[in-house]
Amino acid sequence: MRNLIIWIALAAGLIVLPNVLSFSQQEVLVFLTINILLVASYRLLTLTGEWSLGHVVIMGVGAYASALLTKTTGLPVPLGILAGGMVAALIALALSYPLFRMKGFYFLIGSFAAGEIIRLLWKRFRDPFGGTKGLKGIDPMPDFSVGFYNFDFFEPTSYFYFAAIVVGVCLWILWRIEKSPVGLTFHAVHWQDKLAQASGVNLRAYRTLAFVIASGFAGISGALLAHYIGTINPNSFDVEVMVFVLTWAIVGGTSTFYGPILGCVVLTILNEVVLRELGLEQTRPLIYGLILILSILFMPNGLESIVQKFTRRKEAGLMRPEEAK
Amino acid sequence: MITKAFNGGFSRRMFLKSSAVTALGAALPNVTLAAGETIKIGFLAPLTGAVAAWGTPGLEGCKIWAERVNEAGGIKLEDGEHKIEFVSYDNEYDPAKARTGATKLIREDGVSFVMMLGGDTWPGVQPVADKTGMLFSTLLPSDLSPDTPTLLAPTEVHPIYLVTGVEWLAENRPELKTAVMCAQDDALGLPSVATYLAAFEAAGIEMQDEPLLFDPATTDFAPVVTRLLSTNPDIVCLDTCYSDYVHPICEQLFQQGFKGQIISATADFYDQIIAKTSKEFMEGFIFQFPDFDDPALNADNINFPDPNGFYAEYNKRYPGQWGAVSWEYASIMELWKAGAEKAGSVDPDAVLAAMQEGGKGQHAFGEAEWWGEELFGINNALVGDWPVVVIEDGKATIKGFKSIPAWYDKHGDLLIKHMTAYDQMWNQRS
Repeated sequence: MRNLIIWIALAAGLIVLPNVLSFSQQEVLVFLTINILLVASYRLLTLTGEWSLGHVVIMGVGAYASALLTKTTGLPVPLGILAGGMVAALIALALSYPLFRMKGFYFLIGSFAAGEIIRLLWKRFRDPFGGTKGLKGIDPMPDFSVGFYNFDFFEPTSYFYFAAIVVGVCLWILWRIEKSPVGLTFHAVHWQDKLAQASGVNLRAYRTLAFVIASGFAGISGALLAHYIGTINPNSFDVEVMVFVLTWAIVGGTSTFYGPILGCVVLTILNEVVLRELGLEQTRPLIYGLILILSILFMPNGLESIVQKFTRRKEAGLMRPEEAK
Repeated sequence: MITKAFNGGFSRRMFLKSSAVTALGAALPNVTLAAGETIKIGFLAPLTGAVAAWGTPGLEGCKIWAERVNEAGGIKLEDGEHKIEFVSYDNEYDPAKARTGATKLIREDGVSFVMMLGGDTWPGVQPVADKTGMLFSTLLPSDLSPDTPTLLAPTEVHPIYLVTGVEWLAENRPELKTAVMCAQDDALGLPSVATYLAAFEAAGIEMQDEPLLFDPATTDFAPVVTRLLSTNPDIVCLDTCYSDYVHPICEQLFQQGFKGQIISATADFYDQIIAKTSKEFMEGFIFQFPDFDDPALNADNINFPDPNGFYAEYNKRYPGQWGAVSWEYASIMELWKAGAEKAGSVDPDAVLAAMQEGGKGQHAFGEAEWWGEELFGINNALVGDWPVVVIEDGKATIKGFKSIPAWYDKHGDLLIKHMTAYDQMWNQRS
């Protein structure tokens, strides 16, 4: 019952949220929602101990696939978004053969190289990828009405509701995966790989599985982005964007499901809202970098450690009366 | 009201009003001005990151321009004089951030006109322009198409003006017969490559190799320059490279002993290049963007008020920061101001009509015509004369003005041929 009330309150909060924000903050909210899925999917991969530098390019694969499928075959946008996720997962499966011959640092560099190859292909093949200019005029989500509310997907509020539902469902699936025996095996592959192997776990198969699932959800996030802004180009998915994803994950922390999401939310609000509102537009990279350094120095376990501190204190507080008995 | 807004056809006014209702507490943007109210102009360009050199100096120039206009009384509309103010948004050369910025400037700040660098960022903004009917400007006319009726390229017709530099070079140094070229492989580099190829072909200069396209993430230019010099060319063309590329490429050309001619669209912060190479090495470097202390800009046909004073003030406030775009956005504002004063209002439709009246406009470098149907599918680019600038004794000097339309009348077919080969015609864009 308590959980139901919490979920209903959360849903109500998300419905109200865009309506109390300014227009530009609504736009930021849409991109933040999409990025939450991106960083949460990235965490699934990190569960197996592998850190990729190609995750944003995989996001781009989903964006390009969905944009091209809806543009050329007339596939409805919602199906295009799903197809974008599937294509991203398939590309990840193909990449996994060479990439998972490597581990650790070598995998990191290999994933960067694979991502750059994909970006170069987008640039070289103007047909169908549009070359360096990329694709524009990507089909938007078609507007529709549910009686009491008309969804106009040019409006950030409408798109936020749509994106929030898609991202919410994806996060629930990611959460269920992590809590399932498969998710526990991902942890084992990272922390107890020799023991897991000795118990008959195929390490490479599980690493591949995490990579493919994470890539599928990253592809969905890319497709959501493409159908909102209506344009994508290879630079939208370059290593600079990947650095942001890494930063969200590192500053937020990756030991909990909510850690990277927390990092993404806090740093996006800081960078896109607070620093801009303070009139520090041109000094944002400097201040952002400084805050990152300070947070890593003074919060090595990420923002999630603060939440954990409070929740543990609360749990301890609840325990005391029991202990007194 | 909400039902009406959602179900009815979407006019700009309806859009603005309905948006104000759906977002509680947000102010309705100014569609009309109150008497004496300050006019706000949006500046939506990269102010940080690799492309900031084509945004930040422009904003700085605009601030000086606004102070001068305000000191002179402001913009004179039907209901009296109005002061002017710039509101900026750093789009980081990212289409998603450009969309957010356009939304903020139009729907929250109530700007009457938005200036952009354009390029990769314009497609993100175009849906906002379509919905709101706001008047935008770009420095890159390759953004223009029949679908962009409220987008103007009123100052820089990049990259078409590049033909003037090659034409001047062929006339003044006819002994130079071979060239090589490098460019970053992006939306700015490719149309420039096509234009330079057309200009070299028209001038009878032979390309010794295919243009060398490098990735925008390149930081080591030694191999690029080694490959360029391998055919021993007379001319090295740097296309429309960002200053982050022009500087290291020049350093490499210097270190690898190149003694020939260099031509480039820009040479931003050329004093720094001279410091890294030598005055002798940079002597004769051809580019297209003058310093505004040049005496040639005091001619009667120049439509930029007190260019020498503007340059002096700019250098006083931002020493060493003068670049290609320092004057360009301010020059766009001159045209917009003239249009608004002629229309007597800041309404985007009225200003656009006033600016394009008679098919002619007062471009910074003289009278020009609204042009572009063949290349861009719409006559929203203001084209006339463009200066050819040469570094002489360590200082940029205007060597003359050449007519872009006159070149196009003679060699337009070549430009279309090369633009088509690089998929840069408006009807080839994805």
